[in-house]
Amino acid sequence: MRAAPTMAPDDLGRRVLAHLRPGRDGWLTTSLTIVLVAVALGVSALLLTLTGASPSASLSAIWTGSLANTTGWTTTLLNAAPLLLVAVGAAICASAGTFNIGQEGQVLIGGLFGAWVGLRLALPGPMLVVVVMAAAAVGGGLWAALSALMYRFRGVNVVVSTLLMTFLAIQLVTFAVSTPWLQESAQGSSGIADAQSNPLPADALLGGLGQYPSMQLNAGLFLALVAAVGVALVLSRSRWGFRVRMVGLNPLTAKHTGVRVAALGGFTLALSGAFAGLAGGLLLASPVSPNRLQAGLSDNVGWDGLLVALVARNRPLIAIPVSFGFAVLRAGGDFLSATGVPYYLVDIVKALLVLAFVAPPLLVGLLRGRRGATPPTPFPLPAVPTKMKAAV
Amino acid sequence: MTPTTSAVPILELRGITKSYGSVTACDAVDLRVEAGEIHGLLGENGAGKSSLMKVLLGLVRRDTGTVLVRGEEVALDSPQEAAELGIGMVHQHFSLINGLTVWENVALGDTGKVNKQAVCDGIAEVSARYGLPVDPEARVDALSAGERQRVEVVKCLRRDPQILILDEPTSVLTQAESQELFAVLDRVVANEGRAVILISHKLAEIAQATDRVTVLRKGRVAFRAVTSDTTPQLLARQMVGREVSLGEEGAALGLLPVQQTRAGHDGAHDRQQAVLRLAGLTVVQGGVEVLGSVDLTVGAGEIVGLYGVEGNGQSILGDVLAGLVAPTEGTIEVAGNRVDVTRPGALSKAGLGIVPEDRHHSGVVLDMSVAENLTMKSLDEVSGRFLLRRRATLARARRLADEFNIVTPSLDAPVRSLSGGNQQRVVLARELSGDTRVLVAAQPTHGLDVGAIEDMYARLRRAADEGVGVLLISTELEEVMALASWIAVISSGRISGALPVSEATPERLGMLVGGEAA
Repeated sequence: MRAAPTMAPDDLGRRVLAHLRPGRDGWLTTSLTIVLVAVALGVSALLLTLTGASPSASLSAIWTGSLANTTGWTTTLLNAAPLLLVAVGAAICASAGTFNIGQEGQVLIGGLFGAWVGLRLALPGPMLVVVVMAAAAVGGGLWAALSALMYRFRGVNVVVSTLLMTFLAIQLVTFAVSTPWLQESAQGSSGIADAQSNPLPADALLGGLGQYPSMQLNAGLFLALVAAVGVALVLSRSRWGFRVRMVGLNPLTAKHTGVRVAALGGFTLALSGAFAGLAGGLLLASPVSPNRLQAGLSDNVGWDGLLVALVARNRPLIAIPVSFGFAVLRAGGDFLSATGVPYYLVDIVKALLVLAFVAPPLLVGLLRGRRGATPPTPFPLPAVPTKMKAAV
Repeated sequence: MTPTTSAVPILELRGITKSYGSVTACDAVDLRVEAGEIHGLLGENGAGKSSLMKVLLGLVRRDTGTVLVRGEEVALDSPQEAAELGIGMVHQHFSLINGLTVWENVALGDTGKVNKQAVCDGIAEVSARYGLPVDPEARVDALSAGERQRVEVVKCLRRDPQILILDEPTSVLTQAESQELFAVLDRVVANEGRAVILISHKLAEIAQATDRVTVLRKGRVAFRAVTSDTTPQLLARQMVGREVSLGEEGAALGLLPVQQTRAGHDGAHDRQQAVLRLAGLTVVQGGVEVLGSVDLTVGAGEIVGLYGVEGNGQSILGDVLAGLVAPTEGTIEVAGNRVDVTRPGALSKAGLGIVPEDRHHSGVVLDMSVAENLTMKSLDEVSGRFLLRRRATLARARRLADEFNIVTPSLDAPVRSLSGGNQQRVVLARELSGDTRVLVAAQPTHGLDVGAIEDMYARLRRAADEGVGVLLISTELEEVMALASWIAVISSGRISGALPVSEATPERLGMLVGGEAA
C-alpha cells in the first residue's frame, strides 16, 4: 500500500484558508471591501434595470419579504438557522486547515437519513424529531467522512472530493425518491407518484413556538445559535480546540507535540459534514420546506452556508449576523421573484456581494506577495525567470 | 580607503535604500564591483545582503538610489531586465526541479524552441571551460548536493553573465568541493573579465577567496577594503560592530576556535549512562535509502556533534527524532527505554526535546501566541480535562520567558512577530521544559545573529552541565569543534566516522565528510 500522505497537507485548501484567516486585515483590505461592496450594489442595480425591473421597487420587495412584518422576519429567521449550522460546520474544519466545499451534498444526505428514519420509525412524539435530527447529522457526517477516508488512504484532494461527492449525493437522493425505497405512495385518481417521499409525520416536525399563526419560529434557530456559540467557545478555549487550531496552522508542529494530525483532520471534516447534515434535518422538519424528501430539498442551503462561512472568514460568531444577512436575501428574494423579477438575479447579487467580501483579503495577500511588501520570508524564493538570447 | 580602481566599474550601486514597512533593510548602500574581481559581501544574518541582491536582480524595487552597469544608469524593474544586463545569480537554496534531467533544468527559462543538442553542447562547453563536470542526461534528484550546485553554476554561466552572484554557495559543499568552486570562480574572473559577488557570513571563506570585501552591518556599509589588507579579526569586528574574542565568538563567526575551551569534558564521555541510543536507524523513502543504519549514542551531560555537509541525511534524522517520520528500521532508546515511534508524541513523552532545523516548519506555530507556543507540549499542566486554563498557561509561559530571556511585546503576541533569535528561544524553552533527558539541536544557529548564536551556545552548554545529553546536528565545523566533546560525521546518510574532539582536525573531519576513512 502506498504511504498515506500525512505529511502533505491539503495544499490548495490550506492556501485559500490561510488568506482568509482573520486578523490580517489592514486598511487596504477594509477600504477595498467597501469599494467592492459599492461596486457590487451598483452592478446589481444596473442588472435589475437592464432586465426591466426597478432597483428601488426590488429593494422594497426584498424588505417586504424579509423584514417588514412578522411573516417576513420569521421566514428570514427560519432561513437563517440552517445557513448558520452549515457555516459553523465549515468553520470547524477550516480551523483544522481542511476546506470542505461539499456541504450541499452533505445537507441532502442529512435529509435522506432524516427522512428515512422519520418515515420508518414509529416513535412517540418529541422523541421522533430528536431521532430525525440525529440521523440527519450522522448521515451528513458519514458522507463527509468518505472524503476524509479518500484523502487519508489515497491522497484525494479534499476540496475536489467534497465538491464531486455533492453531485453524487444529488443522484443518490433522486434515485432514492424514484424507487419504492422512499418514493411517495401514488396519490389521487391519476395514480401517479412524483419523485419525492411521503410527507413526514407531524411528530417528526419541529413545532412552532407558541400559538401564533403568522409566527412559525421553532427550536432550529436556537439550536443553530447554541451551536455557533458552543463551537466558538470549544475552538478557542478547549484542549481539543487548541489541537484543532494547531493542526490548521502548522500540522508538522502539531504532530511533533503528539497530535494525531491525520485522524483529527479527518474527524473535523466529518464533524463539519454532520453540521451540514443537521441543517438538512432542520430543513426537512421546518416550515421552509414541503417537509418531504426531494432532490431539491437542500435548495442551495449548503452553498449559501459555505458562502456565509467565507464572508465570516470562518468565525462562528461573525457567522451569526452574516447568516442573517443571507437569510434576508433568501426570504426577500423569494418575495421578489413573486413580483416577476427572475430569482437568478438574487443569486447574482449574492454572488457579487460574496466576491466583494472574499476577494479583498486574497487580492491584498497576492499584491503583498508580488511587491515584496512583507518582511523577507525565510522560505526560498521561486526560481528567477530569465529571458536570454540563446546562449553560447 | 578605497583601493585604486579603473575608471568605470562593471557595477556600481549608489545610495540604495530599501525598506519593508518600518524595517530598513538597506540604508544608502554604495557598492562598487570591478570587472575581474571577486567581491566579497560579508554581513550577519539580517544585515541586508539578501535584500541588496534582490534589488540587483530586479526581484524587489529599490526605494531610492541608482544602479550603474558599465557606467550606464539602469532601471532594474524586473528579473528579465537584470538577466538581459548580464546579472546572474546562484541561489543559496537550489532552484532546480528534481524530476527533470540536468539539461532540461539548464534549458528552463530559455525562450524559443528547445534544442536538446544545442543545450547539451552548451553544457559541455561550459563544463570544459571551467572544469565543472556534469552529466546532462542525469536526473537532478540522483545528484549529490555538490553536483547540484555545479549544475546551478553551469546553468548560470551558460547564460554568459557579466556579473555572477553567489549566495552562501559553500553551505552545501565539503571543504574540497568549496576549494574547487573557488578555483572555478578564479578562472571566471581572471580569464574573462567577469565580476563575481560572493555573499557569505563566513569570515574564513571571504578572507580566502575574495579580492575586495564590503561589510554590511544593520543595512549600512560598515567597512570596505582590499581583502589582503585586512585580517579576519578586523573583518569580524566590522561585521559585529565590537571586539570579538577568537574562541567562542570566533566560532559563531565561522573561524576555527583557537583553543579548546571545553577542557575537562572529554573525560565525562560516559557511554554507560546513555540517554539517547540510536541503533541501526534506517529510513527508506521512495525506494531510496536516505538514512542508512545510523548508530549513535549520547551520554548524559555530554554534547555530541553530528557534523556533515547539508543534504546528507541530517534533515531526515531530525524529522525522525521530531516524531514526524517513522524509521523504516532500527530503534531509538531514550534514557534506556525503547520508544515506540509510531505513537504520536512518544519521543517527547520519553524525554526527548528537539530544536528542529527549520523552526517555522516544525518548531513553532507562527500564528499562535508566545504563551501557546511555550505550553503546547505540556497541555496537561495548563488545562483541566477539557478546558484550557488561561492563568496557568500564562504563568508557565511567563516563567519560561523569564528563564530564557525571551523578548516579546507580550505573551499573547504571535510568535511571528518575534525576531529569529527569540523564536528560537521559544522553541528551546519549550523543548527543555518538563523532564527532558536529551536535547537534539539541529542547525540551532542557522539564521541567527552573533549575539543570539552566543546565547544559544551558552544554553546548550548549560543544558549539558545540568545532565541533559545534547546531540548537536550542524553543518558548521567551527560550531561542532567549539561545543562538542565527541564528533560523529554523517555522509550520504551514513555515519562515516566518530572521534573525540581532541583528535579531531579540520582535515580529518573533511575526509570523513567526503566519505573516506580518516
